[in-house]
Amino acid sequence: MTKPVKKTKSWRKTALVGGLALVVVFAGIYWYYATEKYGDTKNVKPDYTVKADEFIREFLDNDSAANKKYTDKIVTVTGTVSEIEAADTTLNIKFIDSTTGSYAIFAFQQQHLAETKSVKPGDQVSVKGSCSGGIYSEILEATAISFKRSTLSN
Amino acid sequence: MKKVILFLSFLAVAGGVFAQKKTTTSATVAFDASTSIDALPKAENKTVIAAVDTKTGSVAFEANVKNFAFSNPKIQEHFNAASWMNSDAFPTFTFKGKVADLSKVDFAKDGTYSVPVIGDLTVKGVSKEVSTPATIVVKNGTVNATADFTIKLADYGIAGVPIDAGKVAKEPKITVSAEFK
Repeated sequence: MTKPVKKTKSWRKTALVGGLALVVVFAGIYWYYATEKYGDTKNVKPDYTVKADEFIREFLDNDSAANKKYTDKIVTVTGTVSEIEAADTTLNIKFIDSTTGSYAIFAFQQQHLAETKSVKPGDQVSVKGSCSGGIYSEILEATAISFKRSTLSN
Repeated sequence: MKKVILFLSFLAVAGGVFAQKKTTTSATVAFDASTSIDALPKAENKTVIAAVDTKTGSVAFEANVKNFAFSNPKIQEHFNAASWMNSDAFPTFTFKGKVADLSKVDFAKDGTYSVPVIGDLTVKGVSKEVSTPATIVVKNGTVNATADFTIKLADYGIAGVPIDAGKVAKEPKITVSAEFK
């Protein structure tokens, strides 16, 4: 008569331990996603490596195709720096297409601010960042392709 | 001689007209929708396009939604998703407005000015009037403009479980900073 009682107790114990284990696993997954931070872009392999003038030309020729191709991708862009602009506490690097005024602009990661200070207009550089796609600016009447979390690419 | 005078007059007028509109491609817009439960929903965009016309007082901003950078990849993804900003369909936040009282600022004279700015903010295809005081600092030909205000997400049709659960602020704070040279 005692055997069924023992069996029930051990079943309940297993269920409780299993349930607790699941809670711990889900909590761990949630904690991982909640605390995950973007790493240094320097350590990320680019999806594309392009020349600045050809890159801007792709957006001017067919912006929806270019947006589909490059948005949310890590892209390394090589070219001659057109302008460096102060952006609050950081700096942005720009490649400008002189014919249309359209441009690609890179907002740098905070930890790489020092290296952007050494860059001057006219320098030949490779910049890598997360592409946010291009928008047509009514203010400037030109296409602006923006990047975030950027870094110089060595 | 007449042609020369006419041409020079045209240049003078054109130069004056073009000098009125100042633009920047590196204005910064930050929003903070964090709460006591969740510190993650806040982001900054440092490549915002902005313009100010020093003669008419008109002000305009254009921000690429996807260039608002979060520290956390999951929040970055959610922010741009169809149920939130739907940035694939609505890639730009825009503001079109003006300095409501131009007498409060002299763009030609160095100084710090507090001015009212009013205009239409468009988020996810919805336009709402926004008014905010702004601080304009004029120094050596450079115009620095800053403003802080809040918006109601519900005004723009933005709703969801995280807002109801207190993880995203119903009225996030917006901070704007632009330097025009």
